[in-house]
Amino acid sequence: MHELGVANEILDVALAEADRHAAKKVTSILLRVGVLRAIEPEHLSFLFSHMSRGTPADGARLEIREEPVRVECPACGVLEARSLTWECPRCRGGGVAATGGDSLEIESLEIEI
Amino acid sequence: MGGGKVRIEVERSIMQSADEASRAIRSLLAGRGIYAVNLISSPGSGKTTLIEALLVRSGGKGGVAVVEGDIETDIDAERIRRCGVQVRQIHTRSSCHIQPSQLLGVLREMDLSETRLLIVENVGNLVCPAEVSLGEDARVVLLSVTEGDEKPLKYPLVFRTSDILVITKTDLLPYVTFDVEKVRRAARAANPAVGIFEVSAVSGAGLPDLLDRIEALRAAKGG
Repeated sequence: MHELGVANEILDVALAEADRHAAKKVTSILLRVGVLRAIEPEHLSFLFSHMSRGTPADGARLEIREEPVRVECPACGVLEARSLTWECPRCRGGGVAATGGDSLEIESLEIEI
Repeated sequence: MGGGKVRIEVERSIMQSADEASRAIRSLLAGRGIYAVNLISSPGSGKTTLIEALLVRSGGKGGVAVVEGDIETDIDAERIRRCGVQVRQIHTRSSCHIQPSQLLGVLREMDLSETRLLIVENVGNLVCPAEVSLGEDARVVLLSVTEGDEKPLKYPLVFRTSDILVITKTDLLPYVTFDVEKVRRAARAANPAVGIFEVSAVSGAGLPDLLDRIEALRAAKGG
């Protein structure tokens, strides 16, 4: 359900940028989405395609770059994980520090001018 | 006619407009020396019951204001009103969490001249409320023992961003399979600085410690 607000914000930003650059169309939108954000890409794309209908962003493709959790293990060094963890995905040891994985950003847009 | 495709860099947080409203809330609260707590949990974890239990045990009720968030109904606000504190209800309608702009609007209408502590009860949901700051000083996540002990792993964002975890309904522990140590471990993995409290609104166990912590945090901010 929270994808609705996210789709709305993406559309607002895309339309504002399209306007600023006098674009005819927005053709694709590159997003960075952390794995902890619980965003379902298909659901987000579905909502976005509905909401953008009849706007310059109609038909724009959402490209989602997933950001993993960064796990720092004292023994194995830096690894990536798909969810929050308190043990090292490789050696199963404790004492790890997990950071990142919570981005929700519009990186760039592709527009037609 | 130039024409053609161009890629433009944006690098903008999707939460930016919400962030602006939450900054406005923060400055409104700071200007009045109010400490704000954002309560988040699944539906039915006992947020309203916890607020009632804390209000019954706390002295200066005049200094407390409550904002209730629900998709529909004034049921929760009515319950809090009976405790004798100022309360407002937000109907979030299609939104599964309180939007910062909604809270800001309500706060601007309230008389906060005597308020020292603001308690905001978010919509029952462990996903979306975690993504949005309401300008709160402390985020408090509730987890009732009937919900299962794997929740910090299933809903990592809310546990990572919460300052306090309140394990509720501990009077039911003898009847359910709920590993408190497992939850403590997972919650600390998500946020090593989290303060963890085990409470029962029915027996009153753990409530004084939680009240003391909130009061200490409040005093540290506003005096």
